[in-house]
Amino acid sequence: MNLTQQVINGLVLGHAYALVAIGWTLLLGVARLVNFGHGQMYMLGAFVTWWAVAKAGVPYLLAVPFAMLVGAAFGLVMQRVMLKATFEQNLVSIMIMTLGFGYVLHGGAALIFGSTGQILETSLSRHEFNFGDLWFTGQDLAIVVAAIVVFICLKWVLDGTRIGRLVRMVAEDPKLAQLAGVNVRRVYYGVFAFEGAAVAFAAGMVAPRTPILTSMGFEEVIMTFVVVVFGGIGSVKGSYFAGVALGLFTALFGALVSPAYTTAAAFLVLIALLVLRPGGLSAGVAGAH
Amino acid sequence: MTQPLLQASGVQVAYEGNRALELAALQVGRGEVVGVVGANGAGKSTLVNALAGWSRGTPRVSGEVTLDGRRIDGWAPHQRIRAGLALVPEGRLVFGRMSVDENLCTAFAPAEGPGRHVYSRDEIYELFPRLQERRRHWGLQLSGGERQMLGIGRALMMGPQLLLLDEPSIGLAPKLVSQVLATLRTLAGKGLSILLVEQNVRAAIEVVDRLVLLERGRVVLEGPAAQVGNDPRIAEAYLGTQA
Repeated sequence: MNLTQQVINGLVLGHAYALVAIGWTLLLGVARLVNFGHGQMYMLGAFVTWWAVAKAGVPYLLAVPFAMLVGAAFGLVMQRVMLKATFEQNLVSIMIMTLGFGYVLHGGAALIFGSTGQILETSLSRHEFNFGDLWFTGQDLAIVVAAIVVFICLKWVLDGTRIGRLVRMVAEDPKLAQLAGVNVRRVYYGVFAFEGAAVAFAAGMVAPRTPILTSMGFEEVIMTFVVVVFGGIGSVKGSYFAGVALGLFTALFGALVSPAYTTAAAFLVLIALLVLRPGGLSAGVAGAH
Repeated sequence: MTQPLLQASGVQVAYEGNRALELAALQVGRGEVVGVVGANGAGKSTLVNALAGWSRGTPRVSGEVTLDGRRIDGWAPHQRIRAGLALVPEGRLVFGRMSVDENLCTAFAPAEGPGRHVYSRDEIYELFPRLQERRRHWGLQLSGGERQMLGIGRALMMGPQLLLLDEPSIGLAPKLVSQVLATLRTLAGKGLSILLVEQNVRAAIEVVDRLVLLERGRVVLEGPAAQVGNDPRIAEAYLGTQA
């Protein structure tokens, strides 16, 4: 076993986890909501990217923004339907509705794209870098770079811009934000659109590494949940480090112990962390983003 | 006769079917300071929240509210605020995980106009020097008095025509109460209209032009502060005894 190669695999996997989780990080941090349709939205993003590249002949670099537009539109529709429940923070209704959206997406995608697995090949995924025994693809490198850039941008927007300040106001106290003149409804719409676009972007970047199936999504939503909770709900920095840590853990545990028990082991670590630090990695950091 | 700045009529508020407010009519003139007093549960907070279209609960609200001649009932809170009606609520007033500087930012660019002065952050610091000393501190690190100043400061930065204040003296030391109320008088002197809900009747009488007494959600007494301030019903409302 080549330990360095496993670390590279873990870093790529970790950045992929972080990228997939970024929309949820903001969603949970701002709207205090969960989206159990997140995995299926990832699946939709992957299929839209594949369809644009393989069927419509759109260049990959344009197919990803197209998938993001579709994802954002779907996020807006979801929020429109759930707006009342969002304002009332009715988590049970929201959980059921987002689960429902996930199943509708699953069924709709199976109807449109069929049940055959698809492969999304890009020029980046065909390009390999070899350094002795070590190797990774251009797609792997792009995932790492994209995750770092997106997280830095999100952190900058949240901490350093007017829009970010409005989002943080709503995150902390939506009722008080109304009295500061914030159109809270618009912020909720924006956050859901961002979540849809972000998960579609992640799908467009990560999907070329694996076969694309309409049945996928469950593992993605579970891993996203672990990353967001592990990082500390609503913490951008925490999610990034949690994603990378989870990726490294998965790769190394899989190589050193057994890939079959990786998810179970990751949850054991998460449970232990939640007992010791209920707020996640970023617990106790005032205003952590 | 000039049109009042705020006119409310037939405003009713109910929580889960229980009527909390039944207001036949209320007016606030331009540059006027109106005090709303009453015992606990009389409907004072419900009144100012209903005027602002805001609540932490989910009440059923009906009735007509006009601000500067425009119907605003049915408007969302942020729309009413942008129209010039700012509320400083009781209780949670600041964003705890934001600095004082960040708290003193607005979500929109308010426009100056007749009877509307948009305070800058520097003017707020001039009004409340204590906030300037604490400008880098988190909201959650502030004392009760500082939070009250910050809540009022943020409201002033939105250029209100009418400031609704819910119990600004609650939990404050007497010296701070005097300071906050004196600041309100200064603001009123500059033409700002204020609707002040206050438990501390004696302190309120010092700064208001007119007094409104609420009992069980209804106005039972209304008039110039100097005239009705000594009415036995006022003392009865607070002390439960005949004055």
